[in-house]
Amino acid sequence: MEKLNKTPSLIKDLRSLNVVVFHPDDNDRIKLVQQLQRIGCQVKVSWPTPSCLPQGIDIIFLAVQPDNCNMNYEWLNIDNRPPLIAVVTYENPTIMQTVLQIGALAILPSPIRSFGILLSLVVTRRVHGELESQRRRSDKLETKFLGVRQIAEAKNILMRNRNLNEKNAYDLIREHAMKKRITTEEVAIWIIEANETLSLGKVDPNIYNLKG
Amino acid sequence: MYNKGPIKIGVLFSETGVTSMIGRSQFQGTLLAVEEINEGGGIDGRELVPIIYDAQSSPVLYASLAEQLIIQDKVNVIFGCYMSSSRKAVLPIVEKWDKLLFYPTLYEGFEFSSNIIYTGAAPNQNSVQLAEFMTSNFGASVYLIGSDYIYPYESNRIMSDLVLQRSNSQRIGEQYVPLNACQKDFTPIMKDIRNKSPDFIFSTVVGDSTANLYRAYAESGFNSKTMPIASLTTSESEISQMGAEIAIGHITAATYFQSINSLINKKFINSLYKKYNKECIPNLYVEAAYFQMHMYANAYRQAGSDEIGKLLPSLLGSEFIAPQGRVRIDPTNHHTSHYPRIGIANSKGQFTIVREANRPVQPDPYLVTHSLGDWAAVLSTVEL
Repeated sequence: MEKLNKTPSLIKDLRSLNVVVFHPDDNDRIKLVQQLQRIGCQVKVSWPTPSCLPQGIDIIFLAVQPDNCNMNYEWLNIDNRPPLIAVVTYENPTIMQTVLQIGALAILPSPIRSFGILLSLVVTRRVHGELESQRRRSDKLETKFLGVRQIAEAKNILMRNRNLNEKNAYDLIREHAMKKRITTEEVAIWIIEANETLSLGKVDPNIYNLKG
Repeated sequence: MYNKGPIKIGVLFSETGVTSMIGRSQFQGTLLAVEEINEGGGIDGRELVPIIYDAQSSPVLYASLAEQLIIQDKVNVIFGCYMSSSRKAVLPIVEKWDKLLFYPTLYEGFEFSSNIIYTGAAPNQNSVQLAEFMTSNFGASVYLIGSDYIYPYESNRIMSDLVLQRSNSQRIGEQYVPLNACQKDFTPIMKDIRNKSPDFIFSTVVGDSTANLYRAYAESGFNSKTMPIASLTTSESEISQMGAEIAIGHITAATYFQSINSLINKKFINSLYKKYNKECIPNLYVEAAYFQMHMYANAYRQAGSDEIGKLLPSLLGSEFIAPQGRVRIDPTNHHTSHYPRIGIANSKGQFTIVREANRPVQPDPYLVTHSLGDWAAVLSTVEL
């Protein structure tokens, strides 16, 4: 049997991770913090959960217990929030709802055992990384899609007002973009806005047609 | 009320099965220490009585016998296990009953249980030193051969990561053989090695198949002076199995060698020979099994009990002058500080020690990325 593989960076960079643990001071917290320190993470501990998230955190462990189910910290909803692992003592619907609401990517059940924490950490970071890259990708696609629509509209305006065919209308937009060193999308927005300004007060003949 | 009755302890190794050779070593080290403790008046006048079972190299038996020791024989502490699979089988049992296991074997790291004391080396106490020595003396193209289970996979990962930190380094092969591999299982691998011609071979082959690997190497006519086999598990016992002539020139990194030149080690070897009429080969497994029993007895004397809650505070952080040097149980991770050494097998079936740590190396069982040149890895050259 032959096998050749390399240690992935998600496993290699464990010692550089800044971890914050929001958990009451009890046996579970002691075990969790000790195990994170054995793994070699940089661990910060805080309780009660602060309203501000400290800077430079890579992963959050947050206690979800019956007496702290009202989670309305602002930092829970910020963009680029670090991944979160819920530390739970119950698995009833109230707790489950909270775990879903705070967007936990993994859970650690109480009582805490040292075994399993390392793997939860690695898998959570992997899932978070994939979600982030998909979000970036969909943001990019949305922007691109909007741009395509704007260029189509700008081409239409030029075709109507200047009596150009589609190819010439596009060439005009592109020439302009090159001359001004801006993107074709920006030129398109500019054309659309100019057209709107110029048509202020004008009555669109289509309105009558639609109403008729 | 002062209890004067005997103290029962569980001893759970494999005297039969694929790993029986090491199991017998661990058994001998354990019983020598028990004898010494009893000859010295026991623990506060109480005799130490080992309850011994043979787990026959079977994880299922390890689990059921561990439970039997706890429930039926009512021991608080078990000394035992060799392969990681046997430790993983006993771990949930000692956690369930809140008892303590002393585990005297080097392993791949990445474990902590508050119910286990690990007295063998973690990878930062042998692999780093071996990689440093091999790459600086032979070169950085390595061929990895291992038995097909978790310890070799992880040890090979660590070795590759270390070797690949060198410039012009290369991992040119990684092969796994069954635990009971015979000599012909190694024939195609030797052929591959001849074609690829690495600077050295790293072996994580364990058990009886170790001798078969070295024999296959010798039959292929390779030269251990230019392309040796480096190992963490080939001890004096495996050498006696294959014969000194076959082993000569090959290299092992370990925390204990029979050839350590100290009064304590000489006394240790003499006691072993006396007790077992020379039917014993002192090696790293004998030594770890031996010193962990003494550390248990010392902690018991201090705590007055071997219930885990009472024993651990005395045991954690405690030190003992073992045949390898002064060792200590680390309170944060339950592993042991060790003195790594590099030995080259000689014509007498012993290791000539060529590098030696001059201070103990702290255990770091959760270290993923080891680095060459780490201060803890630097060994001083021993004058020959």
